[in-house]
Amino acid sequence: MSFPSQDRRADEKLGEILGRVGSVRLRLNSLAIQHAVFYTLAIVIACGAAIFVGAYLMSPLIFLAGAAVLVIIAASGIVSAVRAGWRMWASAPGAAAVADDRAELKGRLSTIVALAKNETRGPLWSYLVEDTLGYRDEFAAAKIERRRVSRAIYPLVAAMLVAALAYPISKIRHAPRINLGSDQDDLTVDLDDLHLRPADPGDDSSGMQVTADAATMRRLEDKLARENAAGGDVAGNSMNSLVNRARDLAGNLQSKLTGQQSASKQRLNLRLADADQNQDQDEIHRAPETRKNRHGEIAGQFKQEMPKSNDALNLPPEDDARQPNARPSSNSTGDAGVESDAGQDNPNKSDGASDRSIQQSGENSSNGGEAHGVGADPDSLFGAPATSKLGTEGFEIAIEARPVDHGAKGAGHAYVPPKVRTPLSVDQQPDEPVARVAVPADDRNTIKQVFER
Amino acid sequence: MSDVQAETPTVADFARTFRRIQAEIHKVIIGHEQAVEELLSALFAGGHVLIEGVPGTGKTTLVKTLGLALNLSFNRIQFTVDLMPADITGTRVILSGDDGRREFTFQPGPAFCHILLGDEINRATPKTQSALLEAMAELQVTVSGTTYRLKPPYFVMATLNPIEMEGTYPLPEAQLDRFLYKVRLNYPDEGELTRIISSTTGPEDAGIEAVFHADEAAARVESLKQLVREVMAAPALEIYAARLVRATQPQNSRFVSDEAKAVHDEMVNRYVMFGSSPRGAQALILGAKVRALLDGRANIAREDIDHVAIAALAHRIMLNYAALSDGIDAAHIVERVIKSVRAAKV
Repeated sequence: MSFPSQDRRADEKLGEILGRVGSVRLRLNSLAIQHAVFYTLAIVIACGAAIFVGAYLMSPLIFLAGAAVLVIIAASGIVSAVRAGWRMWASAPGAAAVADDRAELKGRLSTIVALAKNETRGPLWSYLVEDTLGYRDEFAAAKIERRRVSRAIYPLVAAMLVAALAYPISKIRHAPRINLGSDQDDLTVDLDDLHLRPADPGDDSSGMQVTADAATMRRLEDKLARENAAGGDVAGNSMNSLVNRARDLAGNLQSKLTGQQSASKQRLNLRLADADQNQDQDEIHRAPETRKNRHGEIAGQFKQEMPKSNDALNLPPEDDARQPNARPSSNSTGDAGVESDAGQDNPNKSDGASDRSIQQSGENSSNGGEAHGVGADPDSLFGAPATSKLGTEGFEIAIEARPVDHGAKGAGHAYVPPKVRTPLSVDQQPDEPVARVAVPADDRNTIKQVFER
Repeated sequence: MSDVQAETPTVADFARTFRRIQAEIHKVIIGHEQAVEELLSALFAGGHVLIEGVPGTGKTTLVKTLGLALNLSFNRIQFTVDLMPADITGTRVILSGDDGRREFTFQPGPAFCHILLGDEINRATPKTQSALLEAMAELQVTVSGTTYRLKPPYFVMATLNPIEMEGTYPLPEAQLDRFLYKVRLNYPDEGELTRIISSTTGPEDAGIEAVFHADEAAARVESLKQLVREVMAAPALEIYAARLVRATQPQNSRFVSDEAKAVHDEMVNRYVMFGSSPRGAQALILGAKVRALLDGRANIAREDIDHVAIAALAHRIMLNYAALSDGIDAAHIVERVIKSVRAAKV
């Protein structure tokens, strides 16, 4: 027979045991939650950092594939982390079992927790409670589980360190590309010599941005339409289209991540030199005396403002032989014709496409503006310095464009072999157009005599 | 004679009594500590014990010593091929009364005692062996339509001789299942044998002291047995015992754990013909309860179940010829089952 006071004391003891088990459970579940959250954050941060760095360092297609793989890995990792946290979640019997194991209580707590709600308790119940309470110090929450913070904090810290390093790493690796682009001179190419074809599926160059006046762009659109109509391989074109779309998607994603969309695109100013384009005459401001020196054919020029990198354009090897003669110069624009808006003297950073474009420009004498110094007519040597830019009413569109050799014309997505550049010898200097400047009157005769000779 | 208190025993009383009986037995029995502990565990768990051992390992001596230590009535039956059931249970005989009238009177057999030793039980015919079934399971015998109750505690210890198998009758499976434990008595090691020699060839008697008074011995043993039943078992441990038993059954060797992960033991499927019966699970829990009391606990733990698993389950598992040819015994199976179920994390 038990008295009410004895029952109360027994209930208090039982309550103390259950309270301690509850504390253990609370701590275990806290760790379970931390495990899931920390691992999830670590995975998200690490993958985000990897994608961020990849946006800077990888080409679009590789970046897209890598990002997709990372996202899949991250998703599975998050699911695993959440599942692990779920498995670590302890019920009251589970917490009691953990406490039994760690405190070597041989099932005392598990039995108490399991049988505490039973209305009929055996005669040994009070002994069990008393006996278990004697081990109260053994199953304190701090002793059963000393950690308040899950070990998953280490992966999280590591991921945060990686993320912290990702930004400077991406900037360090990306800095030369930005400088290269900003220092690059414009390109001018003849529109008639511009052969269009779909980009190679594996081509990772990010293309270039073309700016031109309205007439030139119309001609370019017509040319694009003709080239597309001439392309016969439907399956190949659709494949190319898919690849290009994927590349565009990746490029856009990279641009959003890096915030360097403008710097990543080459910009070409496309101009018509044809006299028939009357609506462009005001913008072109050609001098009458230079018109007669034009070669007469409809030609255009590409003006490259910010090429992305040296490998942004692939040229056939035959262009490399003409490389020294094809260097553009920031000071070589005509006085009223095409004006370079770069104004830099970094010809060595232009690639083969630039070389070819400039050579074509020189050979065709397309649109140098008034008194463009094409070097053939001494009468046109002197004129007003180039001050105004052409194409003030022009507009910009982004296209995937590249110069190709004639051998690749009509070949659809034919592979263009990589260009091999032959460096100049120490005695050679690149042939650079000289920017039109004001020439002192005293020197004009001397200069003229030199060119007449 | 006895310093064990007569009132309701406590956990400490149980452990103290148990250890004292153990000590008394070991005055005579050298070595065999585990066998003696399993024997006493089976006694207090309310079961019976099958003792297997080669001749001369102290089987009969062990049982005799136990009877003396407990101060309970003790009988011994030497099972032979011509032993009849009535030789065990008793029979009705014609006796003359004081008035000269003759009438049939039941003459109790050796089964009417507290501790019964069936020596070399496999030498008797199955019919005779089965005479023990009712006594072991129901603590009663029926002779000529009349049922006679046996006085508790009733503890049957049967010995088996694993050699000299000619002319023997292996125990029926049903009878094997009625033994709570099967205890093996192996050869003593060198040190134990030396002590056996010195203690049994001298003039001194071992001087076994009974732990209980004769008039209260039965009641004390019964109260201790009742205390064993009061030990608590968490539901998770009952599930664990059930899974252990089911895992010994070839058709159930593929069972599902808490994590819905199927645990499949190929060894059971390959070597086991029949697994343990539900009595095996009862034996696991009861044996675990005795061990818990010996450890001063009022609750069982998984370790207690594992500790008694071989003794409780091995003799309930029937192996096939593949096991015999591969040298696999039931103890191996039980150990493997324990590992499998433990890995499944109840």
